[in-house]
Amino acid sequence: MRNAYRAYAAKRLVQAVVVILLAYVLTFVVVSILPGDPITSVLRDPQNGFTEAEIQEIVAAQGLDKPIPVQLWTSLCHFLTGDLGLSMRSSRPVATLIAEVLPSTLVLASAGLAVALLLAAALGYGSQFLPKRFGQGFLRGFPALFLSVPNFVIGLVLIHLFGFQFGFFRVLDPDSVRATFFAAIALGIPVSAQIAEVLIANLDHESRQEYAAVARGRGLGPTRLFVRHLLKPSSLPVVTVIALTIGELLGGSLITETVFGRTGIGSLVQRSATSHDLPVLQAVVSLAAVVFVLVNLIADLVYPLLDPRVKLIGDHRPRPAGADESAADTSGAVTP
Amino acid sequence: MAPPDSLTAILAPAGTTGPAPPRPVPLLRVDGLSVFYGSHQVVTDVRFELDRGKSLALIGESGSGKSTIVRAVLRLLPGEARCTGCVAFDGQELPGLSERRFRPLRGRAIGFVPQDPGNALNPVRTIGAQAMEAAALLDLPDKAGRTALILETFARVGLDNPRRVYDSYPHQLSGGMLQRVLIGLAVLPRPALLVADEPTSSLDVTLQKRILDLLWRLQRDLDISLLLITHDLAIAAERADSLVVLKDGAVQEAGSPAAVFASPASSHARSLLAAVPALNPDRYAGLRARGPRCIGTDAGVASKIAVSSVTKTFMVDGKALTAVDNVSFTVPAGTTHALVGESGSGKTTMIRLLLGLEQPDTGDISVADEQIAGRLPGSLRAVWRRLQIVYQNPFTSLDPTWKVEHLVREPLDRFHIGTRRERAERVREALAYVGLGEHLLSRKPVALSGGQRQRVAIARALVLKPDVIVLDEPTSALDVSVQAGIVEVLLSLQAELGLTYVFVSHDLALVRQLADTVCVMHRGRIIEHGTVMDIFDSPRQPYTRSLLDSLPSCATGVDPLLHRRPEPIGTIRPTPRALTA
Amino acid sequence: MTVALPSSAWRVTAASRLAVLRVPPAVALSFAVIALVIAWSIVPGLFTSFDPVNGVPADKLLGPSAAHWFGTDHLGRDLYTRVVYGTASSVESALIAVSIGVAAGGLIGLLAGFLGGWVDVVLARLVDVLLAIPSFLLAVIIVTALGFDTINVAIATGLSAVAVFARVMRAEVIKIRQATFVEASFLLGGSRWHILSRHVLPNASRSVLTLAVLRFGLSILVIASLAFLGYGDPPPASDWGLLISIGKNYLKWPWLVYAPAFVTIATVLSINRISRWLRQTA
Repeated sequence: MRNAYRAYAAKRLVQAVVVILLAYVLTFVVVSILPGDPITSVLRDPQNGFTEAEIQEIVAAQGLDKPIPVQLWTSLCHFLTGDLGLSMRSSRPVATLIAEVLPSTLVLASAGLAVALLLAAALGYGSQFLPKRFGQGFLRGFPALFLSVPNFVIGLVLIHLFGFQFGFFRVLDPDSVRATFFAAIALGIPVSAQIAEVLIANLDHESRQEYAAVARGRGLGPTRLFVRHLLKPSSLPVVTVIALTIGELLGGSLITETVFGRTGIGSLVQRSATSHDLPVLQAVVSLAAVVFVLVNLIADLVYPLLDPRVKLIGDHRPRPAGADESAADTSGAVTP
Repeated sequence: MAPPDSLTAILAPAGTTGPAPPRPVPLLRVDGLSVFYGSHQVVTDVRFELDRGKSLALIGESGSGKSTIVRAVLRLLPGEARCTGCVAFDGQELPGLSERRFRPLRGRAIGFVPQDPGNALNPVRTIGAQAMEAAALLDLPDKAGRTALILETFARVGLDNPRRVYDSYPHQLSGGMLQRVLIGLAVLPRPALLVADEPTSSLDVTLQKRILDLLWRLQRDLDISLLLITHDLAIAAERADSLVVLKDGAVQEAGSPAAVFASPASSHARSLLAAVPALNPDRYAGLRARGPRCIGTDAGVASKIAVSSVTKTFMVDGKALTAVDNVSFTVPAGTTHALVGESGSGKTTMIRLLLGLEQPDTGDISVADEQIAGRLPGSLRAVWRRLQIVYQNPFTSLDPTWKVEHLVREPLDRFHIGTRRERAERVREALAYVGLGEHLLSRKPVALSGGQRQRVAIARALVLKPDVIVLDEPTSALDVSVQAGIVEVLLSLQAELGLTYVFVSHDLALVRQLADTVCVMHRGRIIEHGTVMDIFDSPRQPYTRSLLDSLPSCATGVDPLLHRRPEPIGTIRPTPRALTA
Repeated sequence: MTVALPSSAWRVTAASRLAVLRVPPAVALSFAVIALVIAWSIVPGLFTSFDPVNGVPADKLLGPSAAHWFGTDHLGRDLYTRVVYGTASSVESALIAVSIGVAAGGLIGLLAGFLGGWVDVVLARLVDVLLAIPSFLLAVIIVTALGFDTINVAIATGLSAVAVFARVMRAEVIKIRQATFVEASFLLGGSRWHILSRHVLPNASRSVLTLAVLRFGLSILVIASLAFLGYGDPPPASDWGLLISIGKNYLKWPWLVYAPAFVTIATVLSINRISRWLRQTA
């Protein structure tokens, strides 16, 4: 078992590294092969006001005059050494630009995740305990509703109600604790829906299992049945779902930051996108892929230690038998 | 053995007035029980009684409501189900009891052994942790005492290493061991009633017998009443004190096995009795005698199938696993050859080799004078025109998006046989052969019953007019009364068309009914072969004997049926000319 | 239990077939909402008599009333009219996005699942890599590279969903390829092409279509988000996301946000409800 786990962990680690590298290559290729020439669209844009000499300098600094495979190779080597290149617009190192705004986004994303987890737990476990005719169906409707609301709308509603109407936070000071709290709610609500959906589905699945009936046949009451039997098997698979929602958290914070006027990765992306600063965008996307892959790697490494059902077969993601592939797919979808 | 009257008297409701009942209050009395799901009634006015220390079997096929009744008694029905009628345990009305007052009865007084042992224990907790829950029902003060009791119980139910079992997770144990654990957990608090819901249906035959033996031994030793749910009439008849036969949620027949067998009152019980293979070994004798029989006479009869010294090895997790080991047999034309074995015996691999879906490592296979081994799938097409298969599970072997007409016509289309009109004609003939009406032509499989689907699958195999049909447990997914119909179709087809069958099964009773020759397979080898008569009357190998022993024989006390003449069967449908021509 | 399981499964599916005929009220309502939205996108002129581009400056920022159901905006244009005229591009781009996802993802999944071998290894790895990039960021970078307009937003949304479709299609194809009825068809003389086109595709299409409906709703959200961030057509276009984006500058007149938001939510909620219903009856 120990050896099997080690082999599995080593395999997953190698896979994660390969996926990260390929993700970098893929974003590079997407940016390079798609129609649209950064030199003409950015540098020669009269709004940016570069002189021809400056343009030549930037082209040489970015290596844009070399063939694409060469560019890819240099860029990949730089990426591996932690050098993310230079911003095309400001000519500052991309790594510095990102480092400046990263803390604010990390705070928002962690707060958003905390909100998502609390809300999902409340909805999931609440759906089991509230009586059928009072409130249970109501609670069960929430995830579907949350999945249908764009998170910028949630943000605007919060700003309108709690910022303008009730004055709970100052809209003009978006980095204050209170404003961050409301931003985290806007970010966390759609993410919570995905987690809650899987949690509710798992709880329903487990409570329909034969072992639950047998345990009741052994004289267990509903509370003990829930605590001793249902809680663990239905909550464990959620670990992998939470890891999958990291992508939504990153994408969602981009919009939430714009709505609340926060500085962060989102505003950096927004600025770089409007000025077609592709090196910055590419660095952010690659870093997001790194974060996503690492978080999922950790989840995949921890999960087999938590759940005795998992058999470590080949290179598949560890999943318990009960977890429905297609359910994970449909809920692991984009909700900005 | 008289039930302890004093205890019954103490436990009887205090408000009981009037004269003492002529007989002691039964431990479990179900009276006028009905269960509804919405407006759909699944159980209708069921009544039966179970005395202390006795056993009762509820018998029914799928959809008969037998599991629903048990769950109603245990109050484990899902919330949307609605129950009416009376269920009295030890004289106490259960439906009137609040959940809080009923819960102490569950487990403590009524033990429950579920159907599928693989799914009946929490997968993420150890066996020991779950056993503790059962032990907690007893008033043992300390943990050490409880552990000791658990280990003792595990030993009692025949688990060799109780300590290891105690520390294991469910997925680390085999199905048979899990079922022993579950039985142990159910009897551990010494309940007065043990309810077992199809406790053996997911186990191999030899294991089935051992588990049933264990249940009845515990019932006797611990003086527990046993309520057994089963689809298997033969099992029930062999061991239970009384039977209740159910159909569509209603009681058809009730009484002692001897009474039910000697003079079944309901037509359902009669047809069920006639359908059980173990009780009617010679049921199809008349039908079979009409076919071209040429068993045992190797001279002069060309063999349709010849398998010689075939070996097949798979690599599993880096280890070589010999699935088929030096197997040889021949099958004369127009006869049925049975491959018998439990799961893992290599019979499935053998038929895949026979069909050319796998290539043997060594050895030769020929079917209808065509060499199979060593040929590429592309060149096997011609062979498959004469060699067809009927799969085990008709719920997966028919494409759910196709209509019956299209399904049966597919082989004709693929082999480009006949004109459009001729194909349509042959589809109708094939359906008539298997006893399906033309009104089913435009249905999809989802709108057919299991038996109808298997008939469609047979029609599909038949429409090419093959010489040989491989039958891979063709009835194991079906109810016994449906099985009888399918077997009848197969045998009359053989008699009329001179088909050669290779019949794969784990059901010895069924093999006895329809096969001519038998190979018994065990761990990839043929350990014994011969005619059905040889194998069943004088088995030489201990393994074969243990298989035969696990067959329920109703020789103990209730055998009159065995000597009754089976209802004559053999009203063969007129043969459509095109198929025999 | 070998005997009861298959036939009880049969009964369940038979029952669910019957349920198809009886549509629950919530689903019927959802279909009505979608029908209205489709009608808006095809013939917006039938539903309103106002001009979506030129407003009446005197009527600016009026609250909802019988004349102006959703009120008017800062240029005095009827907001309901703007929403109705914005439907076409919001819904069409979601349709384009889903079509790209189904076509490209479906093809990748089909090839990977059916051919197996090294094709599967390469394509499955590619899908893994695509899934590793947060899809909203992927859409942002694609639309940035392509240039900002609504069609490019649709293409970017579609490309970012390719991996999900490919994964589901591959899993379905592998599952079906192993089904007994496929082997049966092979033994009955069926060629690879016959099996692929007549057995595998029809059986796989059901779950892929269910997913497509779900992704249609999600695509509306993604496209609204991209329009909200200003990556779509500029005003006077009136995509729902863009309307909300304009409205956020006038939060004193909250209907400018709430009305288009309500239409978006109602549409996506209806689509999700239909998708859920399709999945239950499948």
